[in-house]
Amino acid sequence: MLMDSIVSPTDRILVTGSNGFIGTRVVENLLARGFLNLRLFVRPSSKLDKLKQILGRYSAGKNAQIVAGDLLSREDCQAAARDVSVVIHLAAGFEKSFAGAFMNSALATRNLIEAFLELGQPKRFVNVSSFAVYSNLKMERHALLDETCPLEDAPQERHDAYGFGKVQQEKIVRDYAQKRNLPFVILRPGAVYGPGKPDLSGRVGINTFGFFIHLGGGNELPLTFVDNCAEAIALAALKPGMDGEIFNVVDDETMTSREFLTARKAAKPFFSIWIPYPLAKLGSVLWENYSKKSGGQLPPVFNRRRCAAEWQGNRYSNQKLHDRLGWKQKVPLADAMKLFLAQYQ
Amino acid sequence: MTLRLAIIGCGKIADQHLLAFRRIGGGEVVALCDRELLMANQLGDRFGITACFADAAEMLRTTKPDVVHITTPPQGHFTLAKLCLEAGAHVYLEKPFTVTAAEAEELISLAENKKLKITAGHNYQFTLEMLEMRRLVAQDFLGGKAVHVESHWPYDLSDASYVGPILGSKTHWVRQLPGQLFHNLISHGIAKLAEFLGDEVKITAHAHQSPRLHSLNGQEVQDELRVLLRDENGTTATFCFSTQIKPGQNFLRICGPKNSLFVDNSSGTLLRLENKSYKSYLTFFVPPLKLARQHFHNARINVFNFLNGKLHQDSGMKELIEQFHRSIKTQGAPPIPYREIILTARIMDEIFAQIKNPAK
Repeated sequence: MLMDSIVSPTDRILVTGSNGFIGTRVVENLLARGFLNLRLFVRPSSKLDKLKQILGRYSAGKNAQIVAGDLLSREDCQAAARDVSVVIHLAAGFEKSFAGAFMNSALATRNLIEAFLELGQPKRFVNVSSFAVYSNLKMERHALLDETCPLEDAPQERHDAYGFGKVQQEKIVRDYAQKRNLPFVILRPGAVYGPGKPDLSGRVGINTFGFFIHLGGGNELPLTFVDNCAEAIALAALKPGMDGEIFNVVDDETMTSREFLTARKAAKPFFSIWIPYPLAKLGSVLWENYSKKSGGQLPPVFNRRRCAAEWQGNRYSNQKLHDRLGWKQKVPLADAMKLFLAQYQ
Repeated sequence: MTLRLAIIGCGKIADQHLLAFRRIGGGEVVALCDRELLMANQLGDRFGITACFADAAEMLRTTKPDVVHITTPPQGHFTLAKLCLEAGAHVYLEKPFTVTAAEAEELISLAENKKLKITAGHNYQFTLEMLEMRRLVAQDFLGGKAVHVESHWPYDLSDASYVGPILGSKTHWVRQLPGQLFHNLISHGIAKLAEFLGDEVKITAHAHQSPRLHSLNGQEVQDELRVLLRDENGTTATFCFSTQIKPGQNFLRICGPKNSLFVDNSSGTLLRLENKSYKSYLTFFVPPLKLARQHFHNARINVFNFLNGKLHQDSGMKELIEQFHRSIKTQGAPPIPYREIILTARIMDEIFAQIKNPAK
């Protein structure tokens, strides 16, 4: 249990996306801290075996309420948010279309916040966002990317519906903070990895053409192991005096894209080719120009903004995470990689 | 005449309408409307359109568009289209045109009375290979009226972003349609048949749930459909909708009394099946070589059309919108005959009635 918390163990905490890759780890973190009154929001079609397994490990797991619903339904949001003190909003839209991403990220968040403000006992709304909201187009290669960096202002050009949804979701949260005094914290995890997520981050490379193209080269990856990320989320939900703060979440120990790919291939080999960044940039510029000239005959899946965001390379800081939240990397890199790579055996 | 366009319904398909409209050029988007104003705003932000509304009547009153594209779920089509027609706007309705054939007939009758144009978003009838098929049929390549037509339409259940929310909620708009999943997906495939069938069609339909959908907790939703049709002139047709057949079959085969045509919408190709016979073993050698030559020709045409910018992912939608808007400007015939829109709706009504009550 955190000694210094904005809620007591009996206060109700709502976790959306609780059955997901990060959500299950956050639930376990909260149970381990002794929180007795969790409400876990899941999609009706979800298979809950993993979540139920975690609940079974803790006596407080018996008290956990599993609520199935759709965050696009205001009624479902009201059922979820009633009497809740803290919301940890992890549910995310992975729609490929911009409209779909907006609906499942921004609209869903709006519905949830309104229900929380109306029927909850709002102490904190933790909005779990993503590094996808940043734009480093105008930054130097390997410049430091922290919480003060600019957000993406042309997601359509970047052809990134997910990032668009997340930018709009953050905007909704800030709007409600300004207009309705929503107490919020925003977390932006980097590349979250761990068992249960076998796909490699796009920052390492892509599989678009039927084989793996390694584009990250020697760039530092903003890695955060899923349990370390869950720890940051739990602290952001509980620690007093954090309202209005934004935190990037990356581990102390990270790897380069090449090191990560090498480790992954050692666990289960596959073919890949490396394309250096200048070539990737040239290809992206040519692709984007042709896409524009042809009126979208080729969708702008490769473009300057995406190329910069994913493969230009940055350095990352978790100083604020340490200083303000008191976060510490619970799982060392070596252990984290063992757990991550075991899923390929 | 510069057309002033408005869109009602700012979901996924609205993006495609705006992109196609931009590519056509020569028009202006005057308003976006969605009952969820934030949806209209997000689309407006991305396309630089400032007039966003949550109320369709107010949008029509304020901006007076020439044509409205309605891209909402089908349950809203009838009411919204009626509102637009009564306000003097031409209407493009996304598929399925309406929930029932009675609604389709009423809308078309209203459009005709008001001397306005209306069309259905059956854009797959306007892809490059379908246009070529139509050209050949008009030249009597078939050698008379079609004897038999086959239409296959696939759907891939692995696209969880579509099926997931439908299975996740009994109140999802797709689950509320009389034909559920079929209702939202089969109109393209049925519309292709309607082009070749007379108005009086006898139908036998069978549907079931695939093991795959069952494993996804498909509940009462069905995803495999087979239909046999016969019109008053004896032309027969079959329709197959499947989520299980791999690779996904998206084709139209038109069998004529002299020659036949095979339109593969998956690969954007057209094969002319000519009625020629060959002596002895040449039967086994010549036709495959002639087919190979046609496949090569198709590949060459597609590459040529791609390089010339004619082959787009949404060629059909651009062509349909362009033809529809031209029919408004020139007061010409609409791109899809009203008879076909109504027949498509009637066939769908009957299919859904039969699969709901198999005894019937």
